[in-house]
Amino acid sequence: MSSTPDRPFGTPMPPPPSPSGRAAVLCGLGSWLPPRVVTNEELSRRLDTSDAWIRTRTGISRRHIAEPGQATSDLAVEAGRRALRSAGTDDVDAVVVATTTPDRSCPATAPLVASRLGLRGAAAFDISAVCTGFVYGLASAASLITAGVATRVLLIGADTYSTIVDPHDRTNAIIFGDGAGAVVLRGGRADEPGAVGHFDLGSDGTGEELIMVAAGGSRQRSTPGEADPQDRYFAMRGKEVFRHAVTRMTASAQATLTMADCKVEDIDRLVPHQANLRILRSVAEDLGLPPERLVTNVESVGNTGAASIPLALADAATRHTVQPGERMLLTAFGGGLTWGSCLLTWPALSRIDTPHNTGGTQAS
Amino acid sequence: MSTTYDQLVEIVTKLHDAPQDRIGPDVTFAQLDVDSLTMVEISMRIERDLGVPIDDNELQEDLTLGATTELIDSKLAQ
Repeated sequence: MSSTPDRPFGTPMPPPPSPSGRAAVLCGLGSWLPPRVVTNEELSRRLDTSDAWIRTRTGISRRHIAEPGQATSDLAVEAGRRALRSAGTDDVDAVVVATTTPDRSCPATAPLVASRLGLRGAAAFDISAVCTGFVYGLASAASLITAGVATRVLLIGADTYSTIVDPHDRTNAIIFGDGAGAVVLRGGRADEPGAVGHFDLGSDGTGEELIMVAAGGSRQRSTPGEADPQDRYFAMRGKEVFRHAVTRMTASAQATLTMADCKVEDIDRLVPHQANLRILRSVAEDLGLPPERLVTNVESVGNTGAASIPLALADAATRHTVQPGERMLLTAFGGGLTWGSCLLTWPALSRIDTPHNTGGTQAS
Repeated sequence: MSTTYDQLVEIVTKLHDAPQDRIGPDVTFAQLDVDSLTMVEISMRIERDLGVPIDDNELQEDLTLGATTELIDSKLAQ
C-alpha cells in the first residue's frame, strides 16, 4: 500500500522493489441485478424531479432495486455463482464480500454467502470501504494469494443501497441502485493476462461526515435517547463529494501509473467506480485519457456502490467492448473517505452470463 | 474585457451548453441555468487552469460572470 499519512496527497511514490513475478490473476467474472427496474419517469411520479434533470446531473436513466425482503447476500450469491461458473471451478478457499449494506450489523455477510454457494469451510469476511470496497477487496484478495494464505479467492462487491436511502430523498434516490458483481482470483504471474497489481490505497477520516449513515452504530447506540429517524438513512454532501471524487480518483490513478512506471497512453481502458457520469468524464479528462477509453454503464444501473466496478467490467465483457490483453486502470472513491486504484490486464474469459435474472422486468 | 474574463467564458462554455448571445459580464450563472454540480466543475477548472483556489461556497449561482472575474483577479493579485 503506497498511501501513507506522511505522504502529501498526490505525491507519487517510488516504484516498489521488483516483485517476485507472482501475482493474483482474475480468472472468473459474474454479476447480477435484481429484476425490478426503476426508471427516471417512475421516480418523477413520486419525487420533485424529472428525467431531464436526472440525466443532465448524473447521466443515469434507470437502476435496479431489490424486492421487499431481499438482502445483499441474495444478490451476492447470484453474482458469486456466475463468477464461479465463469472460472470453471467451485474450488475456492476464501470468500470476500465488499459491502456497505450487510445483511446484519453482526455477523458479516460473507460466511452466509460462502455456505449458500456450497463453499464449506472457506475463509469468509466482509470489507467495509463504501464505494472503494471492490478495489480494497481486490487488494485484500490478491494479498491472500500472494502471501500463500489462499489459492483461489471469490471476491464479491454487493450492495442494496435501496435499503439505506430514504425513498423520499430526491438527491440520493435518483443516484443509487442495487446490484452485485464478482470475480475469482487465482495465483499466477504478473506478466500474464488477468494479473492485478500496483495498488494505491488511501483514506482520510476527517471527511467522515461527507458520506454517512449517522445512526445505527456504536456512537449512536451508546448515546442516551432515541436517534432522529432521518439519521438512519444514508446522507451525502453532494458538492464536496463531487470535488473529492474527481481529485482523489485522478491522483490515485496517477499514483498507480507512476508505481507501474507507465503512462496514461499505455492504458486501454479506465474503469472508475460508476458514481456519476460527470465525475467519470472529469476524471478521464484530468488524466488526459481520450473519452472513448472510459468504461461506463452508470446510465443503466446507477451508482451500485461496491458492485459498480465488477458490474461495469461484466457489462463491457458481455458487449465485447474490451479485448483480452488490454491494460485497464481501475480507480474508486467512496465514504470514509477512501480511495484506491490498480492495474488489471484483461484476461480471456470463457463464459460471462448476462447480469439479469431471466424473466425479469429489465428495460431493453 | 480582461483575459481573465475570456478564460472564464471559455471554461463556462466548455462545461455548460449556453447560447453565445446570452453570455455577458452582467449575466449570472443562474440566468444561464448552470446547475450546482456544474458550479463545482467550473470552480475546479478555474483552480486548475488559472491556479486560483476557489471554495464551493464562494462561487454562487447568483454571481455574475463580471463579479466572478473580479473575484478571480483579486485572488490572482494576492
